Amino acid sequence: MFRGGWLAAGIGLLLLFPLLSPDAYLLDVLTTGFLLASFAASWDVVGGVAGQVTLGHALPFGAATYACALLSRLAGWPFPLAAAAAVPVAAAAGAGVGLLAAPLSGPFVALLTLALAEAAHEVAAGHAFLSGPGGYAWGGEGGIPVALPWVDAPPFASYYAALGFLCLTTWAMLRFSRSGTGLILRAIAGSPLTAQASGVPIVRYKLLAFSVGSAFAGAAGAGFAAHVGRATAGDLSLELSFQAATAAAVGGRGTVVGPVVAALAFHALLQGLSLPPAVRVMAYASILMVTLRFFPGGVAGTVREIAARLRVREGSRRSRGRRDRVGP
Amino acid sequence: MKELLAAKGVASSFDGTRVLDDVTLSIAQGEPVGLYGPNGSGKTTLANVLSGLILPDAGSIAFEGRDVTRLPMDARYRLGIARTFQIPHPYPVLTVHEAMRVALSAAGAGKRAGSAGSGEEIEGLLSRAGLFYQRFVPCARLSQGCLRRLEFARSLACGPRLLILDEVFSALSAADEEDLLALLRSANREGGTAFLLISHNLRLLQSACRRILYLEEGRIRRERTV
Repeated sequence: MFRGGWLAAGIGLLLLFPLLSPDAYLLDVLTTGFLLASFAASWDVVGGVAGQVTLGHALPFGAATYACALLSRLAGWPFPLAAAAAVPVAAAAGAGVGLLAAPLSGPFVALLTLALAEAAHEVAAGHAFLSGPGGYAWGGEGGIPVALPWVDAPPFASYYAALGFLCLTTWAMLRFSRSGTGLILRAIAGSPLTAQASGVPIVRYKLLAFSVGSAFAGAAGAGFAAHVGRATAGDLSLELSFQAATAAAVGGRGTVVGPVVAALAFHALLQGLSLPPAVRVMAYASILMVTLRFFPGGVAGTVREIAARLRVREGSRRSRGRRDRVGP
Repeated sequence: MKELLAAKGVASSFDGTRVLDDVTLSIAQGEPVGLYGPNGSGKTTLANVLSGLILPDAGSIAFEGRDVTRLPMDARYRLGIARTFQIPHPYPVLTVHEAMRVALSAAGAGKRAGSAGSGEEIEGLLSRAGLFYQRFVPCARLSQGCLRRLEFARSLACGPRLLILDEVFSALSAADEEDLLALLRSANREGGTAFLLISHNLRLLQSACRRILYLEEGRIRRERTV
């Protein structure tokens, strides 16, 4: 089946799923999975297409969830307006990180982004206003609730809205990665020296990648805030950053669709296993290291490589067979 | 002839070692110049400083009368100073055609940011460099000879007025060397492109250049007109 066929079949299956299994818990798991898959694809714009391996991508995601909560609850903005404003807030947060990270390369980008996101997470987790537990005026469960225009959204509606959001954002990110700008970002990821010698202002383009990737992460964050109904320090957590990076590495960096599939699979698997957060982070970090070391092309890249080797082997076997028939 | 590039008192050091020391040189418009010298004399460092890959510790560089001393390599490329590398660094996943699109779109960045060069422009350049039939091959799969040809084509994409060619003919077959030399001569004669050709091969420099500079221990010791 051609590649688009697999994709269409997958989307068709997901469209039918609520009709086949209308279990509210499963629908909730998948709804969250769709939003996190879109977030993983947004990591791929920065870390895969542009090659800037960030370990702090939760920062723009969390900035967007908090922007949604603060603007809708404190400033009294209607939720759609707050969600729309959260996207440029996330892009600005990403641009700020990009300003610091763009002159760096390789592991220094990973270390800096990890440190910045963890600092933001610590601030949010330790601040009574942002994460006040229990009795604080925000109400009971910690974090800041989002003022949503609905009280209890039916699981079907959330499921289909999140699926539509995933399809739309993935399509937009694919378009971006295949555009002229995406080509230049892939050049920078491959060889920054040759790209610069070809006239590419690499710092400016890296900054652009951070901003665009963060804007998409912000859109996923706004969707997540709408689904969960509150912004918490967990939205800035190390686990989210590692989850996105690992999904992209396993799914195939720079492919956009690969990270979406891998993120959905990881989310479903880890929800089923019910592991504590610290173990999940360890699991993601271990998978990330093993993948980057032994399968740098991810699942998609490894399958392509094996298929290419098999084709070469088959080709040489056939030509040997022809030589044998012709004789000396 | 009108002066194209003027470097005055250029100095550069690495880890406390002076690699270039008070280098002064001038290249006229359309002038073919050779740079010769033993290993470690500072030839590649001079190419790096003139192309903007590294900034000098002292001295100044002017291009067409404009001070470019602090401009980075990409900005100098867009002004018309292009270079090739002694060891090519190909894009691992991009095809030859895509690599040329990157160079052409960046060359016109001021007018059409992110836009790709036209197909005809790219194919014309690849045909001239003898890479037309490899245009859909990933750069990382090219042979050394083809990689050098691609370096050449890439450097021509901005319509350069000065080409800095660092050991571009090393490790090439005789046929590849002849082809690239013909391409260089045609860019020089028809396009009026000046070049600074760095090589260990004195015979080659004598055949391609009008003037040869001899660099030793970071200083230009001699200059000879061919």
